[in-house]
Amino acid sequence: MTKPVCADAFLIRQRNLKNDYYSYTFGPFPGVEQCRPGNFVHLRLPSSDVYFRRAMSVTSVDKKNRELEILFRVVGRGTSILARYQKNDPIGILGPLGNSFSKPRKKEIAAIVAGGVGFPPLAYFAEHLVNGGFDPKRILFFYGGKSASDIIERGRIKKMGVRFHPMTDDGSFGRKGLITQGVEEFLRDGGNQRVRMYACGPEAMLRAVDDLGLKYRVPGELSLEAPMPCGIGVCLGCIVTLRKGGYARVCHEGPVFKIGEVLL
Amino acid sequence: MKPDLKVTIAGVDFANPIMTASGCSGYGEELSGLYPLSKLGALLTKTITPEPREGHPPPRTAETASGMLNAIGLANVGVDRFIEEKVPFLRKQKTKIIVNVGGRTVDEYVTLCDRLSGLDCVDMIELNLGCPNVDEGGMQFGSDPAMTERTVREAKQVCRCPLIAKLTPNVTDITATARAAEQGGADVLSLINSLVGMAVDVQTWRPVLTYNRGGLTGPAIKPVALAQVDAVCNAVNLPVIGIGGIADFRDVVEFLLVGASAVQIGTTLFVEPDAPLKIVNGLKQYMKEKNISQVSDLVGRVRKY
Repeated sequence: MTKPVCADAFLIRQRNLKNDYYSYTFGPFPGVEQCRPGNFVHLRLPSSDVYFRRAMSVTSVDKKNRELEILFRVVGRGTSILARYQKNDPIGILGPLGNSFSKPRKKEIAAIVAGGVGFPPLAYFAEHLVNGGFDPKRILFFYGGKSASDIIERGRIKKMGVRFHPMTDDGSFGRKGLITQGVEEFLRDGGNQRVRMYACGPEAMLRAVDDLGLKYRVPGELSLEAPMPCGIGVCLGCIVTLRKGGYARVCHEGPVFKIGEVLL
Repeated sequence: MKPDLKVTIAGVDFANPIMTASGCSGYGEELSGLYPLSKLGALLTKTITPEPREGHPPPRTAETASGMLNAIGLANVGVDRFIEEKVPFLRKQKTKIIVNVGGRTVDEYVTLCDRLSGLDCVDMIELNLGCPNVDEGGMQFGSDPAMTERTVREAKQVCRCPLIAKLTPNVTDITATARAAEQGGADVLSLINSLVGMAVDVQTWRPVLTYNRGGLTGPAIKPVALAQVDAVCNAVNLPVIGIGGIADFRDVVEFLLVGASAVQIGTTLFVEPDAPLKIVNGLKQYMKEKNISQVSDLVGRVRKY
């Protein structure tokens, strides 16, 4: 279990990616030390337009300089405020929070399924695996979006040396179709290789990946998103319903859940 | 001069007047990962009920202008598991522990007080007489003065530690229920619980919360809370703990000036879990500037027109 830190940091670098996507690097933040792929940080935005913190998946860390990077797309009030941030602006960070992805077994193929803004934690995870000596050729990186502009950080993916499978709804980049169609073809035609899936993306995509996992008996993990008032497990606001009954806190028992665990 | 933040309420000594509000710090475990709970005047637990409760289906919280709506539905582990699993942790904390309890009937309040008030680590019991988010019990106890008086009286008979009655603001005249709680024998009053509120999704035409309504909390309710604390402090002779939207030390000073002996920090803990630390420091600085040695010297000192 990680021990979160609550501290102020600064916006050190910002990159304006296309189509309202941004990369922000914050630091120095002491919590970076214990950060793991799948963890998130809870950001306090200095604006009276939003009251809750905003949860953002960590997409990379620089432990030496105590910096962490998030990727986000402007979708609402919180991300609009964040998009107006300037270099050196202070930000309150609480984190790292939540659990993390578990490693694939030795002989397994890691099938990563990223949909749209679900990309950030999975990029971190894939890099972490590759840097840890996991054969990049045994990582399949499925990445789906509406259009070409939703497939961000392609250079970063290429650099990892993983098997990249981009797909777009309109066919403007990669294959045309839903990413889960590509995943299903792979699971159906993949032969006897043992696969473990790791998914993050829109709810409909997660539901489809969950169904595929159960249908093809492929284990895996899903990283969920939920509005989170507190992020540390006390407010009980960000719950999801478990298949076995009862609830789990996305911020505390999650955000990473096993395939088949959550009623999506 | 070193500012003295100690306060004594109903014979119990608190290191400072800053407490966490029930439902906003769980059973203390998560918060203790961020800072030692000894920094708090007191930790209040989630409302404990006789049976475990899962609470309402999601969504059960929503962001509002300067605050939030919640209808958690008193999710908690129930009294048995509380004693078995949570009390051993609480026993080790060097802070005062106040257990908040909620029942569906007067008997349930009595049973909870009986079982919990004798535990060595429990310094006070707070009766939740005003949860807006449950179908049985909760607000129905706190909105009727006769019911308030009866619940407090019967709970008091078995309670082996000081008893706090936590009052709901969802009444026409909160001083009526405050007096009733005083009549019933409460040692302390705490207020306010959350205000009934609602939000509707204009795309789906459905309420944002599955319970349809919820309790409004956060800075949005602070002026309401302050006015009600002011009214109650003038109406009763009991110590009062102020609750409602407190976010910084200035808010605390306001509550003390109108007569609160201490305060509870609620929703602010969700966005600033270390707020109590900042508030304590801010309060010390303020006292130095104003040349006030005892924090209790601020209590009730408002200069009204």
